[in-house]
Amino acid sequence: MVEKVRKLPKTFQYFKDEDAFAGGVAFCAGCPLELTLRVLSKVMGHETVIVGTPSCSAPVLYGQNVGAWHRLPYYSCLMTGVASSATGLSRYYRKAGKDVNVVCFTGDGCAADIGFQTLSGAAERGERFIYVCYENEGYMNTGIQRSSTTPFGATTTTTPVGSAGRGKTTHAKNLPMLMAMHNIPYAATATLSNIDDLSKKMQKAMEKKKEGLVYLHIFCPCPVGWGIESDMSIQVCRMAVKTNYFPLWEAEYGKFKLTTTVANPEPITKYVKMFRKFNHLGEKELAVIQEEVNQKYAFLKHLTEFGEHGIPAETPAGE
Amino acid sequence: MKAKQGELKVMTGNSAAAYGAMLCRPDVVASYPITPQTEVVEQLSRFHADGVLTAEMIEVEGENSAMNAVAAATLAGGRAFTATSSWGLVYMYDAVLQAAGFRAPVVMANVNRETPGILAVSSGQQDMIQTRDAGWIQVVVENSQEILDTIIMAFRLAEDYDIQLPVMVNYDGFYISYLAEGVRIPAREDVDQFLSVLKTQPQRTIMDPTRPIGAGSHGLMTEFMELRYKHCAAMDRAKKKFDEIDKDYGDFFGRSYGGQIEEYRTEDADFVILTSGSAVGTSRTVVDAKRAEGVKVGLIKLRMFRPFPQEKLIKAIKGKKAVGVIDRSVNFGWNCGPLYSELRALTPEIGNIPMLSFIDGLASIDITKPHIERVIDDIANAAKGKPYQAVTWIPLEERD
Repeated sequence: MVEKVRKLPKTFQYFKDEDAFAGGVAFCAGCPLELTLRVLSKVMGHETVIVGTPSCSAPVLYGQNVGAWHRLPYYSCLMTGVASSATGLSRYYRKAGKDVNVVCFTGDGCAADIGFQTLSGAAERGERFIYVCYENEGYMNTGIQRSSTTPFGATTTTTPVGSAGRGKTTHAKNLPMLMAMHNIPYAATATLSNIDDLSKKMQKAMEKKKEGLVYLHIFCPCPVGWGIESDMSIQVCRMAVKTNYFPLWEAEYGKFKLTTTVANPEPITKYVKMFRKFNHLGEKELAVIQEEVNQKYAFLKHLTEFGEHGIPAETPAGE
Repeated sequence: MKAKQGELKVMTGNSAAAYGAMLCRPDVVASYPITPQTEVVEQLSRFHADGVLTAEMIEVEGENSAMNAVAAATLAGGRAFTATSSWGLVYMYDAVLQAAGFRAPVVMANVNRETPGILAVSSGQQDMIQTRDAGWIQVVVENSQEILDTIIMAFRLAEDYDIQLPVMVNYDGFYISYLAEGVRIPAREDVDQFLSVLKTQPQRTIMDPTRPIGAGSHGLMTEFMELRYKHCAAMDRAKKKFDEIDKDYGDFFGRSYGGQIEEYRTEDADFVILTSGSAVGTSRTVVDAKRAEGVKVGLIKLRMFRPFPQEKLIKAIKGKKAVGVIDRSVNFGWNCGPLYSELRALTPEIGNIPMLSFIDGLASIDITKPHIERVIDDIANAAKGKPYQAVTWIPLEERD
């Protein structure tokens, strides 16, 4: 009898450890966080301390009056203190000669708003840990409020649509770009629809964090907050890439490179139709979003065409 | 066995704080400059540049990050130090509460400075008072030598297996922070030996992937109450432990400070003054002068503010005819001094004697000898049964 050997998908080559999470975890149905975390634990391994804060990932990472749903050590601090706590942990491990990955895992609200100062400070100081931001474009755990990465026009509970309101009036902060501009060893965007790319970047993060701060910005659409059918979240990720709404790139010391190029980008209308948070928008407003996507992408493309302009974060003493 | 007599050097209070921290060989130091603490950061940075201090130095972008970094470093298993003052302490407040809740054995020097209202870049203990309910151990000291010695003792206390709590060592900004005086610097190996007791204790729980644990889990109801109870119990144990450490320190280095409180000429006193910080030195001088005139006054120096040394204070004050408290801060809502209102809570044990509150020294107003003479006169009159004013804002009355 001939045994049928199934070829493993490419992603598996990046895995070094078993999944550290329990079989069933307390995330919302269809939330990309679960798979993102499982991949993270497999690629980064179990010599990892997770640092985070009250957020969507908190019930699973830090327990909700039950134990946590995984077997990694974790440090759950306040939203203001994620990158600084990771600084303290990683500095001590370095001093003690312990090889431990310190990985921050927070939403965009923490990374872009209340925890931004300390993240920026850690980047500038060249702290050696990985900061993973899962981008769901708002404060989802507290019930869908706007954050500084919520896009223009989106409806949230603090930018509701009414007779006078048309959703968020300002544009999103381009957080991954801001982080790359700190000239850190590695900054990248990723999402589950391109899981090989995601795993590869996580693996690269492990290497590059030996030189300084690594920032990964992972697109994680929120089924509850955005109004996505629970079986469609990864399709939304895919369309975000195909429309160039969420281009996949990496930057080493400020040197940008697109890791996926889209030959014929889809119009943004195809993306916004997949969920409800932009339902109220008219043609004019959608045109604004399309224009923003075009401009941001053009800027990114422009950056990739620059020569080697990044400089290492630290120059060794005496050289 | 006795320690060697350390080198004598003239230095400021801030410098003494930096020396104290350096001698304890911290693994991680994180702090952010703020007047009047800045010199501590500078001195530690110089130690590091000179190779005397081999800690990981984190030049953080704010006090909040300083506290988070040192708390996390201690939970990872390290020894960590930070220093701050006033608004810096306020800016790290969430992390201050968390460090206590995490039982992170951080040692912090807090250089007392005013906080609320107008921007008073000046001395005052209000910053310390604002964090009295944070779950930290709070110690107040009087001079440069005591700063250095107490920081060494603070590491012994914070990291003790039975305590595991953060310790804040407070000293009056401007007065003590910048005043230069002679300080004995203990030898490094002697400090190593003094702290080596900690190595004989069981290893505290630390964050290590080989034995995964969580910090900051979600705990509700009785689980949470149990943690609070244990925290309070540890605070309670800290009182006796602090006395023991102070005695050990005295036996070894030849300097001790009385532990929770120091009593000065109280034994045969009719009445006493209770105060803390730099006001103690002046008070001692005035007490001596009054004693020479035949006034039977004594002085109690409060060293430990949290946990509150109830038993020691009851023992020291019970039987006296009156007590006056000088506070360099206010208790909003009670219109008196904070140390005074806390002492009042001990009335059932001390007895119903006149207790007088004196508010003085806010925003770098000097607590002068005439001020303390006036305090003594007022308490003396109250002790004789004459009517007295419960709360006196000394400098404001003088102005009128």
